[in-house]
Amino acid sequence: MRVSNFRQFFALGLHSAAIIAFQISLMQLVSNVQWHHFAYMIISVAMLGFGAAGTALAICREKLLIAANWLIPLLMILSGALMAVVFPITNTELLQFDVFALFTGGWGFTTLVINYLIFFLPLFFGALAIGIIFLIHSNNIGAYYFANLTGSGLGGVLALFFMSWALPLQVSALVGTFSVLSGVMLSDTKTLKQNLVAALLCLMVIGWVAANPGVLRPSSYKDIALTRQIPGTELRIQKPSIYGFVEVLYAPKQRFAPALSLTYQGEAPGGYIIFVNGNYYSHVLNQYPQDNAHILDYTTMKLPFVLGNPQRVLCVNAGSGIGVSHALHHGAAHVDAIIENRKIVSLLKNELSVASGGVLLHPKVEVHPLQTRNFLARTDSNYYDLVILPLLSEFGGGAGLHSLREDYDLTIEAFVQMIRTLRPQGMVSVSTWVDHPPRYSLKLLATLVQAAKKSGFEHPAKHIVALRSWGTITFLLQKTPFADYQLENLRNFSQELLFDPFLMPELLPFERDAFNALSDATLFQKADSIIISSASAINEYSFDISPATDNQPFFSNFVNLGKIPRLLHQFDLGKLPFLELGFFLLLATLAKSIILAVLLIIIPLFVLKKSQANKRRTLLYFSALGLGYMFVEIILIQKFVLYLGQPMYAVVAVVGTMMLSSGFGSLFSQKLLPNWETMGKIGAIILGLLIIKLLILTPLLQHTLAANFATKVVLSLIAIGVPAFVMGMMFPLGIRYLHKHHPAQIPWAWGINACMSVVSTSAATLVSVEAGFQTVILIAILIYLIAAMAFYSPFSKKSTNP
Amino acid sequence: MNYRVGLWVLSVLLAIPVGFASDPTEGFRRRMVETQIIQRGISHPATIRALKAVPRHKYVPPEQRRFAYADRPLPIGFGQTISQPYIVAFMTEIIDPKPHYRVLEIGTGSGYQAAILAEIVDRVYTIEIIPALGLRAGEVLDRYYDNVEVKIADGFYGWADAAPFDAIVVTAASGVIPPPLIEQLRDGGRMIIPVGSPYMVQQLMLVTKRGNRIETRNLMPVRFVPFTRN
Repeated sequence: MRVSNFRQFFALGLHSAAIIAFQISLMQLVSNVQWHHFAYMIISVAMLGFGAAGTALAICREKLLIAANWLIPLLMILSGALMAVVFPITNTELLQFDVFALFTGGWGFTTLVINYLIFFLPLFFGALAIGIIFLIHSNNIGAYYFANLTGSGLGGVLALFFMSWALPLQVSALVGTFSVLSGVMLSDTKTLKQNLVAALLCLMVIGWVAANPGVLRPSSYKDIALTRQIPGTELRIQKPSIYGFVEVLYAPKQRFAPALSLTYQGEAPGGYIIFVNGNYYSHVLNQYPQDNAHILDYTTMKLPFVLGNPQRVLCVNAGSGIGVSHALHHGAAHVDAIIENRKIVSLLKNELSVASGGVLLHPKVEVHPLQTRNFLARTDSNYYDLVILPLLSEFGGGAGLHSLREDYDLTIEAFVQMIRTLRPQGMVSVSTWVDHPPRYSLKLLATLVQAAKKSGFEHPAKHIVALRSWGTITFLLQKTPFADYQLENLRNFSQELLFDPFLMPELLPFERDAFNALSDATLFQKADSIIISSASAINEYSFDISPATDNQPFFSNFVNLGKIPRLLHQFDLGKLPFLELGFFLLLATLAKSIILAVLLIIIPLFVLKKSQANKRRTLLYFSALGLGYMFVEIILIQKFVLYLGQPMYAVVAVVGTMMLSSGFGSLFSQKLLPNWETMGKIGAIILGLLIIKLLILTPLLQHTLAANFATKVVLSLIAIGVPAFVMGMMFPLGIRYLHKHHPAQIPWAWGINACMSVVSTSAATLVSVEAGFQTVILIAILIYLIAAMAFYSPFSKKSTNP
Repeated sequence: MNYRVGLWVLSVLLAIPVGFASDPTEGFRRRMVETQIIQRGISHPATIRALKAVPRHKYVPPEQRRFAYADRPLPIGFGQTISQPYIVAFMTEIIDPKPHYRVLEIGTGSGYQAAILAEIVDRVYTIEIIPALGLRAGEVLDRYYDNVEVKIADGFYGWADAAPFDAIVVTAASGVIPPPLIEQLRDGGRMIIPVGSPYMVQQLMLVTKRGNRIETRNLMPVRFVPFTRN
């Protein structure tokens, strides 16, 4: 009995959904035990399973097609079972990989390779099943590609659904069942019995893993692992969430003490600490209202309350509300607290309400579970007396491994928005740890200076003051120039708590390091140049401290390719990764992806050497599609994270809409003739749409940032869906073209597309870090131009039209 | 024939004491000091002598022994590391230890830093918060030194019974310079401490107590290794 078309489409969609959901769950698992950059790294290699499947198909095409009837269901069942077990296997003492082990010797590299191979397996088997289906139905690829893309789009939603209630180790097991079920659905009468047995065995394994998820074993250098080592620490709460896996430890000896003054005589408070995906998020302190002095009064973060008496306060990224309690402690009449993570808001209002002093339940406090920029866009001008940003590095905005996360709260545009909401005497307060070589403090200052200039302040130096302790620097930007009495207060406060004024009008050199000396004068010299808007001070520095913008919002990244030779001249190569690990991991990921992609493409080239010409065109066309599609997808994710205000929703919205729209585009393409003229025309339409996107997307999103949610959803659907619909036609048209002219090249083309998709993920990130998002779109336009012209017949020795 | 056998026996008998006397790791230590320590500017004679004397390989886990004299930190379990030899030398030199000093160390870890100090000063008090690490280090230190005391406790409170100290060496990162440690530092005493968020790159800081006045000097960033300029 043949399996009906509907059953085939449905099973293919289900299996595709499982594969995407598995990748998302794997990323969450790896992010929990390692760091998110490493998660990208391992996923990118695992994703090459698709490329490898293409290679296997190209080499063993005939044999695989003959065995297709029994092989496809078996591959799906096997893939589903492996999805459930691969992570638990690597989560053992024997195979656990630790990213820092790469730098400290031992078996680090070996376990890394073993981990790669293990994660590769379910994707390879799963992709091989899809590849065989595509190969069999290459003439009707539009419909099958539609099922594949639609399933993939829904897979993201499926992953989020599971992640919202299941433990991380259970999610990958649960999604595996979908692939097992697809395998059973595709079994014909001959193979049904044996496949049912295999499926039952696999489901038993999956059920066992889901019922006994075990404990995640994070790297011993991960924040949560370091805290667990301290005696007296207890795990109190675990909450799955789409924002990441939230864990709360009770750690009385891990103290909250952000560079307390040396005059402080009390006990530094410990207690509850929140971790998200194993990374430190915030301490939870019961500070209000009974305390005589707030712990932050012994830090530079008291400065805005020394220089003013703010009544209306906005706490950006309020974490667990320590800044909120600080503002209340100083008599604020109303505090707006922005906390994006709804799960943490819920924890602080319920389970941790006593531990946090009930700060978020206080009648003067209003919590906004939104992205800061969205909130600011809706806020009236001249409203706040004080906008407080958290100490940089807290709440996930830190250095090194967090460096390539975009941070739209620390860009020139963000500060301009904050300044707009201030009343005339209002201030923006932002603090950072003192770092050496100085990077955070200087980049922050450069960004503040440019924001002040854009806000119309003629002399930023009169509007910015800064105070330095032995550990932190607090910058204040006031809408009106600082008055003499405020500067006097700053000096007195510095003396009292053994701090040093860092920036202020008429500051005498000896005042700057009266209590806290630095190893060299770089910080002072650069800051003095930056405050008078000296571009050379920024350009000539070893690190990238140029102001962060919405186009390049990577506040915590201080390295770019141009700076590497100078950095290598100053620091040993072996030390740089410790300082700026994120950027170097990105380079390593890109290099690995390129090497493996080339290997996976070149091997089949040897096998295909006897086949017909046009291999170069096939390579060009499908490489361009793989690169171009992901470039557009990544740029849209970045843009819509800011626009929709919730990163997780933005990712799901962009990826889901793109996949679904492309799926419908693929279905529609079945009506078109697969020739170079059609492909050229579709390519030209995509080019036109991308050029429009380049010109109007940014201003459109900026102007509608404060619009209501329904308007934003409609605009998002148009901005993402229309180009994705057309882009979805290119791949099936190409496959059908090959079906007619060079069928042996189909698996190879599919593999090329998959490999280039992997390469493009890290390549697009690198381009956006180096040159900004607009450049990523420009490159995407060029790539699609290549795709549009790849099969253009005048370039061919013989006609490529049917 | 008898003559030859006699010569062979004699040579073996002569070789045994020579073999027992020479320490094969001594060469590694000498090279480590020459290439990693002196070349990077450490010149404090007592520190250099101590680094040449202390068998670093005794303080690292067996699986890491082959890397004991390498120019890098090594994992010792529990998310902790034995510092790179240069960092140990730097932290020792900066407190300018004298033979009559009483030194407090917070964060015993492997015990290596305490051993280096014990070679130079009169008495070393060292505190470790992780019991397994403290016990392991205590065993090794007991074998070689009688002027080191190890305590399993929270280093935040220092060691009041043994105070005041001429110098304090803190090897664990902290967001606070604990007030009890400043109190237990003798007037004119020096404390070296890595400061900053315990979850980030930290700054190595020198704290000097002069009467009621406390001064800090930011020295260099560290995260397993120092980020010194070439």
